[in-house]
Amino acid sequence: MTPRTFNDIFGNPYLAVLAATTVIMGYLTVNALMIIWMERKVAARMQRRLGPTERGKFGLLQSIYDMGKLIGKELITPTHVNKGLYLAAPVLVFAPVLALCSLIPVSQSWVFHDYDIALVLLLAFSGLAVIGIFSAGWGSNNKYSLMGAVRSVSQTIAYEIPLILSALAVVMMAKELNLYQIVAKQEGLWNIVLQPVAAVIFLISATAETNRAPFDIPEAESELIGGFHTEYSGMRFGLFFFAEYSNMIIACSLATVLFLGGWHGPLLPGILWFFIKVYALIFVMMWFRWTFPRIRFDQLLSFSWLVLTPIAIANLFVTAVVSKLV
Amino acid sequence: MAELIQIASDEDRDTFYLNMGPQHPSTHGVLRLRLHLKGERILSAEPIIGYSHRAHEKMAENRNYIQFLPNPSRVDYLSGMIYSIGYCQAIEKAIGLEVPERAEYIRVICNELNRISSHLLWFGTFLLDLGGVTPFLYCFDDREKILDLLDLVSGSRLTYCYGRFGGLVNDVTDDFLEGTARFCTAFRERLREYDRLVTQNVIFRNRTIGVGVMRPELAQQFGITGPCLRAMGMARDVRRDEPYGIYDRFEFDIPTRTASDCFDRYLVRIAEMEQSMRIVEQALAKLPDGPIMAKKIPRKIAPAKGEYYFAVESARGHFGMFIVSDGSEIPYRIHLRTPSFANLSTMRTVLPGTLLADTVSILGSIDIVLPEIDR
Amino acid sequence: MGRIKEIAKGARSLIGSMGVTLKHLKDEPVTVEYPAERAPISPLQRNAIRLIEKEETPGSHNCIACLQCEKICPSNCISITGYRPEGLAMKRPETFDLNFALCSECGLCLDVCPTATLGYTKVYDKAGYTRADFFHDLLEEYRETEEQVVEHLREADRRKKAEREAKRKAEAEAKAKEAGDAQ
Repeated sequence: MTPRTFNDIFGNPYLAVLAATTVIMGYLTVNALMIIWMERKVAARMQRRLGPTERGKFGLLQSIYDMGKLIGKELITPTHVNKGLYLAAPVLVFAPVLALCSLIPVSQSWVFHDYDIALVLLLAFSGLAVIGIFSAGWGSNNKYSLMGAVRSVSQTIAYEIPLILSALAVVMMAKELNLYQIVAKQEGLWNIVLQPVAAVIFLISATAETNRAPFDIPEAESELIGGFHTEYSGMRFGLFFFAEYSNMIIACSLATVLFLGGWHGPLLPGILWFFIKVYALIFVMMWFRWTFPRIRFDQLLSFSWLVLTPIAIANLFVTAVVSKLV
Repeated sequence: MAELIQIASDEDRDTFYLNMGPQHPSTHGVLRLRLHLKGERILSAEPIIGYSHRAHEKMAENRNYIQFLPNPSRVDYLSGMIYSIGYCQAIEKAIGLEVPERAEYIRVICNELNRISSHLLWFGTFLLDLGGVTPFLYCFDDREKILDLLDLVSGSRLTYCYGRFGGLVNDVTDDFLEGTARFCTAFRERLREYDRLVTQNVIFRNRTIGVGVMRPELAQQFGITGPCLRAMGMARDVRRDEPYGIYDRFEFDIPTRTASDCFDRYLVRIAEMEQSMRIVEQALAKLPDGPIMAKKIPRKIAPAKGEYYFAVESARGHFGMFIVSDGSEIPYRIHLRTPSFANLSTMRTVLPGTLLADTVSILGSIDIVLPEIDR
Repeated sequence: MGRIKEIAKGARSLIGSMGVTLKHLKDEPVTVEYPAERAPISPLQRNAIRLIEKEETPGSHNCIACLQCEKICPSNCISITGYRPEGLAMKRPETFDLNFALCSECGLCLDVCPTATLGYTKVYDKAGYTRADFFHDLLEEYRETEEQVVEHLREADRRKKAEREAKRKAEAEAKAKEAGDAQ
């Protein structure tokens, strides 16, 4: 079973890249705007508020108005910044997102790009965003920003490891790095049933990787004001914001692919199932954010090194032994 | 690093100074903290105040005792009722004015409601400092109900000018009494919910237990009062030690804890809210009928020449008024002894050695109100 | 083993917290959508002061320009000038201005008013662009009818005076009569 890729559809690889970029941009924009709206609504309802109501039905157009506002704002470049790093940072944060998104198999009939070592690529690219964050923090020449950047780097390193270890457990079972094949093998039995521990660790690490509360210490507004994006305004800030939500989509998509059986599900078409699962996971992430206080920086790191990583290693070991025996 | 970040000195390239505030999301107004940091660890901290100084004490010297009435509630706008009524009680004691029973009971009810609302706001903002947004909005929902109740009797929502020498401005209505009783029942339920949402929460516990421990000798050195003192295990409360008004007629406990960390200060305040509700319920049950203003109020409010000191227990601690009278209608001097000022001055000794993230939680846990510190 | 127990306990507490927020997810929001709907305000709510209209004679107020409120006001936000119309016992205000930007809504002016003619307006959300927007002329609505009211008061005063005189005359007559009878 092989899916149709953009290459198959367009025949010409250059045309395929162009088309895929356009489609992915549109896909990300629509989803990110939806998630921003959803986040505001979920937060509001949990706090017994109404959330956006004015623009569009149920305030659905609110995010578009906000985007318009951000685009219309003046881009202020403070005089004391390191210009190169400062200007490059938002792009550096946002660029990997596009590449990451092209690797996710959304439906069984086609993917953006079918690649045999897609998982490796995905995990590698997801680490790239931290370079953008660090250059934002360093380039801003602001103590708060720098602290945010430093925190971000150590956090990413700490949580990359349990993330990869829990993903490896799935790879070991599937004996496959191709995401499409990993999903295909989950027909009938989702990985979450066989790998519940890995799934939980993956979700926690993914939340930390995307800098979402309660792991949002790089931008902890009550300590560091805005963290690494303190000095950014207008659409430059918008890109950071956008990248955060895009990362959320990718992390949840990956979790769906690895543990929740991607497009598999009864009755409804595969692509719908995929999105139902992704949005359910996104809801869980929002639920975390609007329930918990922020974890302290040192506790965050020790939680990763002393709790998550050992459990992930033990889980990997058990998986290895069991898959050898079976 | 050198050209990017302003360093402490040329010799010392590992540490730097960080100005936290006066514009910072979690300094509760306009406090400025000058932090000397090594990485995230604080080497020394210096609170710098005075950004919202409004000269309330000086104002007192230029107006008569009655005209000073709106001021006390603006000194600490979160427990304005306690301050405003406390000032009335101070002057009443100075000129020997008797207050009718009913007014006394209403004063107690309003004071305790105000204490709950102040603690609720503290609770919400403390959680906000720790990064939890949702409890903040639940607290504001509850606080809103108290403000509605107090609005019903006093006509204002935040800076009350409800007390008058010899009584109160307005009598309470049945709406208020029923609403208060209803609130007490509903709020007990909410406290149980907060317990599950916050107190039991392992993230919250990890961030507060053992953080910001104040050694007991600090209490004497700096004059710490209020919940911060009670979290050290000392059961001191002006309402019990030198009862003013009719506080000696009510049964209530003074909650104490012993560890004196952020978590204990949190628990003391939560327990205090329960005790305040107990007092409110007792007062509601005993509320007598009668007038709310004393019959004979002197036309001229002029305490005899001398010095007077009167203290009440505000939501933050011991609030004292030192009044010097030269026998005229205008006070010679009124000094306000405010609790947050003493509590904040401990920061210089408590903060060093903690992390930047702890600074925020410690600062939040002592419950400061900046205008009350600057006055 | 203790460590695992601790982690399990922590996880349970987190799930408990999540239960609380989930429970509220289905609750009715408490928001009042302000410009569209307004929460009821307290009947005693303090706002800018106004002169209360007398019930028996519409278009008139009871202010006697005694300046008590101006004197007590801690913020000096009230300024009144009074005048004494021809043949009237009491003074009337010629101007009654309130600088609401200074007002602290303490309600002391209401306490001291001897004729209880001061009350509160019900507008609590007035906004403006200049300071002049917060100068309230309290006599605005009464200016047109002022002459009539003064005339009316004069009439009343005259009547009262006449009554008083008649009474005095009657008394004097009665006294004289008594004196006559005694003789």
